[in-house]
Amino acid sequence: MAPPKGGYAPNLDKFLDSLKGPVDTSVEFLIALLKRRQIKGSEPCAVATARILLQVVAKEKWTDVDQLIERIRVVGTRLVAAQPRELVIGNVVKRVLRLIRDEAMEDRNEAGGDSSPASPASMLPTPIVESIPDVKPFRPPTLNSLGSFARTQSMFSLLADPDVAPPLWSNGTTPAAASGTSTPLSRTALSQATNISALRSEVIDGIEEIMDEIKQVDDQVQTYADIIIHPGNYILVYQPSRTVQKFLTRCKRKFNVLLVVDPSTATSTEDLYASFRKSLVAGGSTVVKVMNTGLMAYMPRVNKVILEARAITATGEVVVDSGAASIARAARQQGRTVIVVGGVYKLSPDSQANQTIEWGDPSKYVNFSDGQMVGHVKVKNAVSESVPEADTYLTNLGANSKEYLHVIIEDHYKEEDIGLDLYGTIRK
Amino acid sequence: MSTEPNGEPSQGAPQPKEQSSKSIQPPKGEKTGTAETPNALSGEKKLSGAELKKKAKEEKAAKRALAKASKEVAKGEAAVSSSPGQLGPSAGEVKGNKKGKQDATATAGSGAGGRPTPNRATPSMVAEQKATIPECFSHLPMAKRLPMTQADKSVHPAVLALGQQMATFTIDESINRLRATLLAFKRVIASYSTPAGHTLARHFTPHVLGPQIDYLTSCRPMCFSMGNAIRWLKLQISKIDMDSKEEDAKRDLCRAIDNFITERITAADEVITESGAKHIENGDVVLVYGRSSLVERTLLCAYSFGTNFSVFVIDDPYERAGQLLAKTLAAEGIKVTYCGDFGGLINHMRHATKVLFAADAMFSNGAMYARAGACDVALAANELEKEVITLCETINITERVATDSLTYNEIDPERCSAEAFRLLFDTTPVKYLNALITELGCVASKSAPILLRKLEEFN
Repeated sequence: MAPPKGGYAPNLDKFLDSLKGPVDTSVEFLIALLKRRQIKGSEPCAVATARILLQVVAKEKWTDVDQLIERIRVVGTRLVAAQPRELVIGNVVKRVLRLIRDEAMEDRNEAGGDSSPASPASMLPTPIVESIPDVKPFRPPTLNSLGSFARTQSMFSLLADPDVAPPLWSNGTTPAAASGTSTPLSRTALSQATNISALRSEVIDGIEEIMDEIKQVDDQVQTYADIIIHPGNYILVYQPSRTVQKFLTRCKRKFNVLLVVDPSTATSTEDLYASFRKSLVAGGSTVVKVMNTGLMAYMPRVNKVILEARAITATGEVVVDSGAASIARAARQQGRTVIVVGGVYKLSPDSQANQTIEWGDPSKYVNFSDGQMVGHVKVKNAVSESVPEADTYLTNLGANSKEYLHVIIEDHYKEEDIGLDLYGTIRK
Repeated sequence: MSTEPNGEPSQGAPQPKEQSSKSIQPPKGEKTGTAETPNALSGEKKLSGAELKKKAKEEKAAKRALAKASKEVAKGEAAVSSSPGQLGPSAGEVKGNKKGKQDATATAGSGAGGRPTPNRATPSMVAEQKATIPECFSHLPMAKRLPMTQADKSVHPAVLALGQQMATFTIDESINRLRATLLAFKRVIASYSTPAGHTLARHFTPHVLGPQIDYLTSCRPMCFSMGNAIRWLKLQISKIDMDSKEEDAKRDLCRAIDNFITERITAADEVITESGAKHIENGDVVLVYGRSSLVERTLLCAYSFGTNFSVFVIDDPYERAGQLLAKTLAAEGIKVTYCGDFGGLINHMRHATKVLFAADAMFSNGAMYARAGACDVALAANELEKEVITLCETINITERVATDSLTYNEIDPERCSAEAFRLLFDTTPVKYLNALITELGCVASKSAPILLRKLEEFN
């Protein structure tokens, strides 16, 4: 259950206020909030993660890139551990890591190299980047919304296999020598300091861009509404989030919405979707609130099912609110299109979604005062679950098929980070 | 508006003017109407043939006017004009007959004067109620919850009460409704006396049984088993020998109904319970959806056999009847896990070995008509290839065919407003079902029509 409105329970806003203080305090505070699910849902989690990492980059003292990467990793791992089923936290951490690596790589090129030879991974793509100096002004993360550029970048990094490079380097041929860059170890302390401050501001800019991207998802996704929704369609939505609501209200056609709501909130007098309904009805569409959990009965009517993703994995699995999986199954069984909506930041290089049924909140339907139930019956309640696949994945980069998802992932994550199993380390 | 014609004859008797003014508010007017019925009947027995005819003509004209008005009010809505319309004529018939015993002048006065106002009032009220059903589901029936005060005067008190219980879902589940209906009909038969110049076989069905059925239907749409049983009952009535004494005929009918209840409901339930319980083996994890008394008894029976199994209760969060089942089973000592909605359904299904349903009806294509959501559960079971067992009395098997859930269904009257909508049932295609356990034995679900055929031969 969400904390009471205006109550004393801390939430995302309170956390954002707390960011003015020392970084460590903020990190601890955020971890506590995540653990207690006082910040929950993919977007708040993503925003909070990005903000805290921004603080880590901006306020903490670090002298070289590896130190920063290590620090981000440590903080990231703890954040992921606080809410392990929320893949988005890991996603943001990995994207920030990629950002740092890219920036560091560019700096090295510009300044003629980094002082630290300790990180083969960060050195590795050097030769490639050098071969495309023109791309330099466009930092890759800035291009999330301009897919093609980012993709170009990634195609190059694709060629660089991190698994092959380290042995090469250990054989004695330093990558620096091989690539022909100037000798890395001869940099002065002064230039290093300027490098660091430049890097810091670049990374901060990059993280801010990630935050902007998260913010803009709704607007960018909306533009596809008219392509997806046709006049007279029956669109089934399940517990529509703001993104899905905006998506539907953007469409100026007349269509029918079957609104499936969370059963626990359905009986409350307050209509969570009042404004949503109002704006759709004003446009001539109809909204029917469906108070069934099994939706097979309605499927013959339904043209399209639109679900909001909590996270999407490389294999096309979608983490959704609990209950949505059985809707998706019903839809696919009857040959109805299942469209999953979610920003690119929800696209996760992890592939553990099949284990990500999150159990919790058993008091949703069974009252703790009900002794007979509490004492003798095992009560289970899912918070989120996963859908094996959808027909279309609608992100802010457009509508994609399942097969194309890994390409987008390669555009946004570094391979060495993809391998970084934040979730796995927690389970150990 | 259906209530209008009925009210009229009784209205006629003592104070016509007051009646007509009262009938502007249908419930109240109606109430007084029914209350006065005995009075009216007693004072009416002197009526000439000519007066009778005149009365009948007025009646017809009024009915026509009524139908016209109602059509105008509820233009596009087929459901509105059709279902109460169906009710109207039959009620009218009854009245037409009994009207013979009525004071002609009084009726004429009230009939002419009192008509227009209530006409406008009643249909518009119905229309308002109906307007909230989304257009795409407007073909489906919904319990209209006809107040007792608007019932036809020939509705028997036992049926009146039953109608209210059904309308409020106090008596739910197909088989319970059937049993209660038959018992109520037994009382109707017992209190029936054939009017002079009629025979029971010819008179009872259209003039007495008809209004009872109409009333029950308008309280809540009939379930398939009720339809089957009523067809059977009508057949029994038509079979009555014209020459037999009324007392004998009534006794035979009541006896037949008793036998029917024993054979098709009580004994059937016992056989099914036992047979179902034998299907549960040691170590099974039985997944059930919602609460059904048949499933509950089956599980308890299996437990009493000493079978060691556990139960997974998936519930419909809007009804939460599964909690009751979970408590009952847990109190007996069965290991129960409860899940309030379909979250993580596939995961629950992975732990289960069998799925047990109780059907509200079986279609002759083998499809199962059951509580809304059953189809989703069956689908999940099918995906993981779990055995799906359906429990169903043969009286619930209908010769009709449904391929989707929107052909036959019912709208939840509790949750039908401008904001909300809910179907009470859904249809599970036969491909998701495995076994069907009836009192005739355990067969493949697709053999439902064969059972039906067998029963026909049997009858």
